[in-house]
Amino acid sequence: MKLLIGIILLCLPTAAFSNVKVITTLPELADLTRRIAADKATVDYIVRGDQNPHFVEVKPSYMMKLKSANIFLTIGMELEMWAPQIVDGSRNSSLDVVDLSRTIQKLEVPSRVDASQGDVHRFGNPHYWLDPRNIRPMAEEIIAALVKVSPQDEPLFRANAEAYLQQLDLKIAEWEKIMKPFAGKKVISFHKSWSYFANWLGLEIAGEVEPKPGIPPSPSHTAEIIQLVRSGGIKAILVEPFYDLSPPDQIARATAAKVLVLPTSIGGVDQAKDYISMMEYNITTLAAALK
Amino acid sequence: MPAGNWTTSFAEEQSMRRLRTTLVPPALALLVLSASDTGAQTTVNPDISVIPRFLITTNDGERLAEGKREFSRPDLQFEELEIAIQSYLNPFAKADVILTLPGPDVEAGKLGLEELYATVLRGLPLDLNLRFGKYRAEFGKLNQMHPHAWPFVTAPLVESRFLGDGLNDLGISASLLIPTGDVYTRLTVDLLRGSSIAGTTGLADTSGEKPSYANSARLTSFFTLSDESDLELGISGYTGIHDPYNHERFWYGNLDFKYKYRPSSYTSLVLQGEYLYSTRSAKQDEHYAPFLDQSGRSAERTITTGGLYMYADLQFMKIFSFGARYDWAESPYHTDDRARGVAIFFGYYPVEETLGIRLQYANTITQTPGSASKSINSISLQTLFSLGPHKAHPF
Repeated sequence: MKLLIGIILLCLPTAAFSNVKVITTLPELADLTRRIAADKATVDYIVRGDQNPHFVEVKPSYMMKLKSANIFLTIGMELEMWAPQIVDGSRNSSLDVVDLSRTIQKLEVPSRVDASQGDVHRFGNPHYWLDPRNIRPMAEEIIAALVKVSPQDEPLFRANAEAYLQQLDLKIAEWEKIMKPFAGKKVISFHKSWSYFANWLGLEIAGEVEPKPGIPPSPSHTAEIIQLVRSGGIKAILVEPFYDLSPPDQIARATAAKVLVLPTSIGGVDQAKDYISMMEYNITTLAAALK
Repeated sequence: MPAGNWTTSFAEEQSMRRLRTTLVPPALALLVLSASDTGAQTTVNPDISVIPRFLITTNDGERLAEGKREFSRPDLQFEELEIAIQSYLNPFAKADVILTLPGPDVEAGKLGLEELYATVLRGLPLDLNLRFGKYRAEFGKLNQMHPHAWPFVTAPLVESRFLGDGLNDLGISASLLIPTGDVYTRLTVDLLRGSSIAGTTGLADTSGEKPSYANSARLTSFFTLSDESDLELGISGYTGIHDPYNHERFWYGNLDFKYKYRPSSYTSLVLQGEYLYSTRSAKQDEHYAPFLDQSGRSAERTITTGGLYMYADLQFMKIFSFGARYDWAESPYHTDDRARGVAIFFGYYPVEETLGIRLQYANTITQTPGSASKSINSISLQTLFSLGPHKAHPF
């Protein structure tokens, strides 16, 4: 009898405070979900901010994260080619796999793709979270997924989301003001990660350090980029923390451009503690370099 | 609702990803062309990968019998072509077909069925996974890997001596995740036809015989040691009939480990090893020579032998890798027939996995009953390319 009472007591707190378990591929999705769900969800992510989200080893530990999850949030658009293997390995029959790109206005959607073009994404450039205006439709998708599991908490989710999005809107206005003098300026990026970011701020990506997406820089292409930087008076080369700095450093040494290591994910640099601080870091660092 | 409750766009993405194949063998061309003609068909078109391997090799052991040690003329060989066709069958199951064309004669070789199996991924009680068909059984770590995914060129001695081309058999397997907290622990049990061992390190081809079933099982656990390092440990067993005429049984036990340290996207260190223990009762050896007792009469023996390999592979600068392997293995039938060896290998992968070049130097010393030990040096240059979709690497 004592054992039975003990089991019931152990179960009670779980029943009273049961919440939603959400796993996300990227840490910024986890950050956004935490803002929306607050204490109604436990949230974890798979890819660290200093890892390349295109290439993730399929580890059984990731499958364990998904095994007991309700929701798996992904960027989609072929960014996480490894995700289906983790979902299959989790054996979670009730997992809701959510693609947050569903309502995003996609950039660089190719009409035809083959491997001669490098690692081109069939559904367009997937780095849409680097335009903060895309956070609102992403939040809508997250709310919809959370409500499916916990419908009684919808008002709370919506209120939390709105409070966060208002805060973000203020920052967006501030960032746009900072960057307004640099509209039309050319920059170089290592990979095609910054298209949405540049599109938002009116910057022009004049070229990439990679000759084609995912293809390592060759000496001849590096020479072309050096020429491009010199002729265009380009001041900044944007590089994610997980890429090899040798080729951009070589370009910088041969020109007046500066290599900027800018995170595309939370944790990519120490200053990127959450989405807003990550974008803040990127904006202020870039603005300083473009002056 | 089945898992993998993918939203529509993710499902579309999966089907579009399957279109990556741009060149296919003639036999498959029709399938792909017809699929590209109509959008509706692309949603059921499977992933198709084509991976050929070529080899230039030389060794200094061919004229040892004449008392001469000199490297043979390097020989360019077609090593093997692998064609993988993979897709989901439905929301609950997927299927894999692996066809291989073995070398060295590229024109005379026949395309064979390496693997053909379906896996039920979800919808079963206890979240069981079921697999049936012909497949590489989950025995040890290396047996599950296809040779193109090895960091070295040649198989470890213990694998070739005890498993031949691999434990690959008709069968049915069930796997279960064992609840061990946050640690991933999986138990897999196989019921196999038993033809794999007889065809390689057993005595006879049992294709015309009634099946004498074999069983294998593996328990594996995966430990996350830190953000950068992981460890997998496994223990496997395999038993069956190696001599169908005398109904003689063998038992294999196997311990394996894999440690990986990946401090950055460009650098990783893999340490992997396996130890295989073998015991079998036998009345004759692999050459059908009967075992005799002291009085010269036929006698049954219990032979206990084993072998191991260990390797380290360091990936650096993203596109290069360098490693070394140590081998030691006895014969399944003779404790005094043994071999040991070392191999040093270097890999170059200029554009992800689409192209690979591996250079290996190996020294193997074999000791057979009644003869002096023999040391052979070999140098191999392997090239391979991979056409089609590249899945993420499992740990």
